[in-house]
Amino acid sequence: MSDTTLPTVGTPERTRKVYERTVYAIFAVAIIGLLAGLVFNQEYAGTVIYLVGVWLGVGLAYLLPKWSDVRFDDERDEEIFRQASGLAMSVAFVVGLGVVPAVYVLGAAGHLTITSTMWGAIYAASAMYLVWGACYTIVSRRL
Amino acid sequence: MDNDLPERRKAQNLSQGELAEAVDVTRQTINAIERDRYDPSLELAFKLASHFDCEIEAIFDPSQNGNDPS
Repeated sequence: MSDTTLPTVGTPERTRKVYERTVYAIFAVAIIGLLAGLVFNQEYAGTVIYLVGVWLGVGLAYLLPKWSDVRFDDERDEEIFRQASGLAMSVAFVVGLGVVPAVYVLGAAGHLTITSTMWGAIYAASAMYLVWGACYTIVSRRL
Repeated sequence: MDNDLPERRKAQNLSQGELAEAVDVTRQTINAIERDRYDPSLELAFKLASHFDCEIEAIFDPSQNGNDPS
């Protein structure tokens, strides 16, 4: 047990929910702040609120489990995350392999105009595949 | 994987939340195991077996042919 253990709020389940809602509330304030900044032409203030809120939320999400005896997720949550991530990447790979090469060939042949938005999507997807490949390599060497 | 966790839990008058707290997982995880929707890790299976003072095989039936507590 850590010396910095935070107090629990009733049962561990209740404490977990309170901590989760606290973090979600901070994220919500950050996003609302950003949108409000856009609406009221206070982009700089909105961005500051967003960055502070997101980093605060991420920091708390990382640190609260270390400061508290209460777990925020367990092995089933991790399995859900793994399966959801795997499913998302499978969909991305199928769509990427099934669409991107065809779009590229049609664009090169002049049958299709690849807009800057489409190029952005292609580059973003390619970057995601590269990051996934790097992560896969790192994880596979650790297991 | 078939298991007799609900029967063992109820025999000790434990709620899912109380059992979850005892083996350091969430109530949802215990619920998912009891409904055969999630197979626990080896670590959690050992914790459950230790909690109920029995072998893992006494709780879980890998053949999935129904509960067969010993």
